[in-house]
Amino acid sequence: MGAKRVMLIAGGTIGGLGAVLSITPPQFGTTSSSGLGGTLLGGGSTTSTASTAGTTPAPAATQAASTPAPAATATKKATTTTPAPSATTAAPAPAPAKAKPSGTFTGSTSQTRFGPVQVQITLVNGKITAANALQYPNNDFRSQQISQQAIPYLVQETLAANSADIQGVGGASYTSQGWYDSLVSALAKAGM
Amino acid sequence: MTLARVRAEIHTWGTVIFIDASSGKISEPQIQSAIDGVRDFLYEVDEVFSTYKENSQVSRLRRGEIAITDCTPDLQEVWALCAYAKEVTDGSFDPWCVEGGFDPSGYVKGWASDRAITMLKAAGVEHIQINSAGDLSLAGGVEPGKPWSIGIRHPEEAHTIVKVFDITDGAIATSGTYERGAHIKDPHTGMIAIGARSATVYGPDGGIADALATALIVAGKDGAYLFQKPELAGYHCWVIERHGDQAWSI
Repeated sequence: MGAKRVMLIAGGTIGGLGAVLSITPPQFGTTSSSGLGGTLLGGGSTTSTASTAGTTPAPAATQAASTPAPAATATKKATTTTPAPSATTAAPAPAPAKAKPSGTFTGSTSQTRFGPVQVQITLVNGKITAANALQYPNNDFRSQQISQQAIPYLVQETLAANSADIQGVGGASYTSQGWYDSLVSALAKAGM
Repeated sequence: MTLARVRAEIHTWGTVIFIDASSGKISEPQIQSAIDGVRDFLYEVDEVFSTYKENSQVSRLRRGEIAITDCTPDLQEVWALCAYAKEVTDGSFDPWCVEGGFDPSGYVKGWASDRAITMLKAAGVEHIQINSAGDLSLAGGVEPGKPWSIGIRHPEEAHTIVKVFDITDGAIATSGTYERGAHIKDPHTGMIAIGARSATVYGPDGGIADALATALIVAGKDGAYLFQKPELAGYHCWVIERHGDQAWSI
């Protein structure tokens, strides 16, 4: 028989459980598209509860009294096999010795085979704390689907490269040269 | 020592598969050549397994034009593995209970990514990430002694990471209603699955992780007992409940 497994029920908000990276939603509706972009993922929502990077609440969630599944034993152990995500939070850097750029910088528009991509980044002391797509292809349903996958993945790549210690993202995938081109341009404008 | 590292995108399966491969043993061109081999394999998988290609073996199998015994060894293998996955999930993952007939898509991604890892390892690549549309297969950590840190995105807020898992070797698959709309059916009822908003499963085998993630979307917390099974001892899950921002994990 396998070792006894326990099921942990963690209450509180999902964000509270470990939002390590939070990025404001992209600017949807730069073209007169249908509402698909918003309905598929809710990506167009402005009601995001995401906090900005660095303000991650402690992951210690209150234990909910939900009914565990049969044979599963609820425990008070609040940690899982993974480390507390807050440890990897992209916290604002402490005051650096040298002045590093802070602010919001917009990259040039880059053409991809799916359409234009334009990236805007926010820097805090030279670290990328947010990367948004100002423009991305959403001409048709297929492109929208690709974009829905693309943007979060691209954001992942950008942040992973610069500010957060994450090398991959589950639940989203797609990347494009256009993103990088626009990103490089935005970084250049920031003087980095 | 410095690692030789190659990152590549492979456009296939209607998505993009991202490969990150590095090694302290072989050179960049050698890694690139190993990735070329993987690319050919993934293209071939698309030709055989795509349900969107009219003449793929899977499509012909679905139309009843050929029998499973007429199919390639790979397809026969996946067929058998899908049967095992159906059994081990007590039917919550059932690729035969899909409109249009047998659809192994929910298994193939993980299976093919695992195969790609095997190919790359055989060529001398030591640190591998294969990310196919959000399901990842990983090997060797990102560098010696350091696991891959994999973020799982929020089911609705596409730009928020809700959880990070550190994995050196294995697979992590997330299923949800967000990737392609509500696309998972409950095999028991024929209705759209409503067991959970997002289910992440990690463990040794990509296909099984994929199947279990789907099973949890179907069964929700009722599927928790599956993880008690001795044959699933190496698997863990992190599931966001359908209502409220609660998550549970095993």
